Amino acid sequence: MSATERPAGAAVAPAGQPAREPDARRRTSGGSAGPGSDRRRSRRGRPLSIRAQRAVAAWLLAAPFFVLFLVFFAGPVLASLALGFTDLRSTDLRHPFAVNFVGFDNYTRLFQDETFRTAMVNTAIFVPVTLALTMALALAVAVALHRGIERFRTLFRVGYYLPYVTSIVGVAVVWRIMYQHDSGVINRVLGFVGIDGPNWLESTTWSLPAIILMTAWRGMGFQMVIMLAGLSAIPSGMYEAAEVDGASQWQRFRYVTVPMLRPTLLLGAVLGTIGLVQWFEEPYVMTRGGPLNSTLSVSMFTLNQFGFGNYSYAAAASYVIFAVMVALTVVQFRLLRSNT
Amino acid sequence: MTGWKRPAASLLVTALVAFAVAGCGRGDNDETSGGQAPQGISTGPATGTITVWAMGTEGEKLSVLAKDFEAANPGAKVNVTPVPWDDAHNKISTAIAARTTPDVSMIGTTWMGEFAKSGALDQTPAAFDKAAFFPGAWDTTVVDGASYAVPWYVETRLIYYRKDLAEKAGVQPPTNWQELKDFATALKDKGGAKWGINLQPGGTGSWQTYLPFVWQAGGNVMDSSGQWTLDSQQMTQALDYYKSFFTEKLAPGSLQPGQLESMFVDGQIGSFVSGPWHIGILKDSGGAGFEQKFDVAMMPREQAGTSFVGGSDLAVFKDSKNRDSAWKFVQYLSKPEVQVKWYQTVADLPAVQTGWNDPSLSGDPFLSKFGEQLKDAKSPPAVPTWEQVAAVIDGEVEKATVGDTAPADAVKAMQEQAMSIGTGT
Repeated sequence: MSATERPAGAAVAPAGQPAREPDARRRTSGGSAGPGSDRRRSRRGRPLSIRAQRAVAAWLLAAPFFVLFLVFFAGPVLASLALGFTDLRSTDLRHPFAVNFVGFDNYTRLFQDETFRTAMVNTAIFVPVTLALTMALALAVAVALHRGIERFRTLFRVGYYLPYVTSIVGVAVVWRIMYQHDSGVINRVLGFVGIDGPNWLESTTWSLPAIILMTAWRGMGFQMVIMLAGLSAIPSGMYEAAEVDGASQWQRFRYVTVPMLRPTLLLGAVLGTIGLVQWFEEPYVMTRGGPLNSTLSVSMFTLNQFGFGNYSYAAAASYVIFAVMVALTVVQFRLLRSNT
Repeated sequence: MTGWKRPAASLLVTALVAFAVAGCGRGDNDETSGGQAPQGISTGPATGTITVWAMGTEGEKLSVLAKDFEAANPGAKVNVTPVPWDDAHNKISTAIAARTTPDVSMIGTTWMGEFAKSGALDQTPAAFDKAAFFPGAWDTTVVDGASYAVPWYVETRLIYYRKDLAEKAGVQPPTNWQELKDFATALKDKGGAKWGINLQPGGTGSWQTYLPFVWQAGGNVMDSSGQWTLDSQQMTQALDYYKSFFTEKLAPGSLQPGQLESMFVDGQIGSFVSGPWHIGILKDSGGAGFEQKFDVAMMPREQAGTSFVGGSDLAVFKDSKNRDSAWKFVQYLSKPEVQVKWYQTVADLPAVQTGWNDPSLSGDPFLSKFGEQLKDAKSPPAVPTWEQVAAVIDGEVEKATVGDTAPADAVKAMQEQAMSIGTGT
């Protein structure tokens, strides 16, 4: 048993009254106690008391963190979890405890709520599509930067990373202007090649793809940095060996780069998914979830419900996102573990 | 001691037990007791410190009136805290929960139901004369039969139109629905506008443009027993009419922010429905002489000629430590001459009817029409769930105008969702 796992009671007990009973019990049950066991006990009493002092000191030193954690982290988290099982509304603010306990009512209502289901479906489309697109683009850029491009490599790296460190709200505002139907840059460029661009953000068909495109563009730099780190960890000898064996460029990519990069790709996917499931700012700035809820995310749904004063309902919705994220993370870490 | 190994689980159990012990469900602490008579206010000048929260421009400029008040009440000190609009709802909610409310706060008219229902607001004393205010504005303060605030300033919606285009098309401002349709058609076909009229096609706040048509058709969103009536025949009739402007290509399906004003100035949009703030915006963006080119018209009359009334109320909180003086400050702000001064300071329109006798308001060709319309203007019911039901209406209006949902189906969907949301009682 390590010191940290030692029960607090046992560490404190021997100070005044030597804990004879447990020892006696051990003696009878073990049946192998020698004659000197009593002396050993009393000798052990002193170090234990020092240990007790240490334990007290340790708890005292840990107390500030522990109290802060309880008050500012565990407390609100558990309170919000409990909140999801009540019918608290904004009109109950003066008497927050005078509410009814409604069990899983909020959760069953959520899954019957058409708007919430729309938000879930949007999220279920948004996350995998954006992730796949982001990682494909990032992989292409990372490989090109790592192998192909010699000059201005740093400039390109910074260039691709820059969107990720730029304020998401600023980026979204600029893209909203670029997506404008008549005057937007994107439709003008499409016009040069003879394509009559859609009214991106006002169309129920194109608004979600438009947001996916922007998010992938912005998230690409982050994935690229992770992948560059992964690429530089691949021994160049492997490429040389493959080249000697007559592997083509594509084969080298397919059979050397991708397998060696697998842990890196999984790490990127885990980090990416956690971020994407909580997507919020992009539709909040660009479409407000519209048109007709076609870009409503679960986080936005939660915020709206909170705004309507349905605090318990919003709490339940946020725990649904939480559960989804935990499940996804567990799955992805399983994948990571089995492959490394 | 498995508890230390599973702190989360043990804490959760503790939290739930604490909740169960402290909670014990809803009691009879419904504090909106309409039957109870409100308390009176003491006589004599105000004393002590009065803290006031106000949003937007009102928050920035209220200290001007506060200084006058302090001069008249030497023992009183008014502390004005400006609160940004985006933050205001949360800040007031938090203050109610923590019982750290100010003495007085400006309250958006659509928030009244929620805050009054929470029991945080003091009932309006009888010293305030209901008849002095515009009836539609007073109704925003009434929750479950009792008033919990006083209207401070108001706004209502009229039809802005291009005078020159109307002359060119040879049409007079409309007085009923058919004429409004003909008016928009003429502005488009003969007046040269790309769009005859702009009506908000959906999105946040479009109910404010749509509901007046329901009221004009003689309908309402709630019956006298407090039940939603969103699928009434008048709701369908109004939405049919509203939708027809979009199907007949008289109104644009979507506009970017700022586009409305520039297109109206360019003559591409012939008319639109909006509030008094657009007078200033149009004068600014239209340049010199543009005010000769546009005018405002009253809402068309079918069963009624009702428009929407918005604005803000002033409420005193129950947790106020200086209640009497707080109400005295509200009383001061409700004096006709102070309301006029307030109009001259921030251009907020008086909620007190006699304030409109001042020549600065009654003599203004645009504003006098707003004053006229205010006598027939309604607000949505002051129930805690209004904002949520309003969002439902916004969404369904959008489905009917931009999408291809039939108005009858849209109002049915509104009613279904509103019934499941309830009225917060």
